[in-house]
Amino acid sequence: MRDLDPRVKLLWMVICTTGALVFYDPIWMMGLACFSLVGTLVLGADLKSFIARFRHFLGFLSFVVLLQVIFNRSGAPVLSINSFVLLYSAGLNRGIIIALRYFVILCAASVMVEENNRKVIAALTQMGIPYTFSFMLLTALRFLPLFRSSFSNALVAIQLRGVELNKIPWNKRLYFYSSLILPVVADAVVRAQQLATVMEARGFGALPQRTSYVQVAMKFKDWTFAILLFGLCGFAFKLYYFKF
Amino acid sequence: MSAAITLTDVSFIYPGSDFSFSCSHLEFPQNEVTLITGHNGSGKTTLSKLMCGILKSVTGRVDIFNRDTKNLTLGEVGKCVGYLFQEPTQQLFTPTVWKEMTFVDEILGRTSNETERKALDLLEWFGLTGLKERSIYYLSRGEQQRLALCTLLMSGANFFILDEPTTGLDKNNRKRLYTLMDDLVARGKGFAVITHEGELIDKYAYSQVRLEKGKVIA
Repeated sequence: MRDLDPRVKLLWMVICTTGALVFYDPIWMMGLACFSLVGTLVLGADLKSFIARFRHFLGFLSFVVLLQVIFNRSGAPVLSINSFVLLYSAGLNRGIIIALRYFVILCAASVMVEENNRKVIAALTQMGIPYTFSFMLLTALRFLPLFRSSFSNALVAIQLRGVELNKIPWNKRLYFYSSLILPVVADAVVRAQQLATVMEARGFGALPQRTSYVQVAMKFKDWTFAILLFGLCGFAFKLYYFKF
Repeated sequence: MSAAITLTDVSFIYPGSDFSFSCSHLEFPQNEVTLITGHNGSGKTTLSKLMCGILKSVTGRVDIFNRDTKNLTLGEVGKCVGYLFQEPTQQLFTPTVWKEMTFVDEILGRTSNETERKALDLLEWFGLTGLKERSIYYLSRGEQQRLALCTLLMSGANFFILDEPTTGLDKNNRKRLYTLMDDLVARGKGFAVITHEGELIDKYAYSQVRLEKGKVIA
């Protein structure tokens, strides 16, 4: 399944992310999360890298869930101390939904990050998308790991100036981390500018059409998988909205 | 002369790579400039990262002022060893030169008149006083590098590891850097400098660590 056509993988990604945005039921969202995780592994994402990537988001996900649980105070009380209600059902549901939504998006992105660049560009171009957009999309995806590595370099650099992270007062932490973002973003902008200049210097974008050495073709397996995905998607949405 | 950094029976290997680094014993003295030289891929950057605890050795130990780096956080290392990256903008974080000088003290909540005095003295010494309010992105490479070195001195470091500090510097800025290094050595600081620069190698030829294929050969 790892060698499926990139268009099928894109279709799978679109279906998963659309589901993540439209489902507001925790049970459905859990189902979608399981489906996405299995799909991610079947379609070629490496489990170890996926777990490593997911670990980075755990803190953020917990924070988002906590915000929902604290501020969404509707529905039936779930947990209370004396007369003070700590947790309401709507807050809990919303927290779970949002955490799972990010999880599904991460699963979907994992597959595309590990896909062959040239094949994705060829697939998108063959679908009629202008090649400049296809290149832009792929470049943006490739920038994410660079962005992360720049941020960890900045973190090392600041610690080597004598900053012990656990000793930063809580009220200064936001200022600290936002300051680290500045050189990382500046670095990304400079790299993007350099990349654009280099590509233009090599004639990129000079003509509306561009030939490609790499060509992709949908095989029987790809069509079968795509049709199955469409069918499953249609069935799931009908069940979700109309309950039959 | 006392050693600032000592490596004993150190070995290191990058996961999934054929490259390995090893050395039985290596000392970097305080009050001296030691050059680290070798071809591309010989292990210079690996050695420098082991020296300041960014990388942890697989076997052996690396001591910074007699303390094993395995027991030190990067923040603790940063208080005695400063690392100047090849690209100075990688270690500058705030919009202006002055804010950069006081950034660490500000986030650690220890700004005082004494800190400001120290920052002003350092800026003057490094010839950056006139650029106090300037954006770090409008500084020349030589100025950015001097500022980065200044910020390392603010942390109280006594030993500095410089990764190819002459890259992109013209002759005047190179000379300025050498003078600064000599001044700092005279004030009791030490340096380990990764370089390919012939001028620098001639100047400090008496103290050189030469690497080849991850091994110390001289």
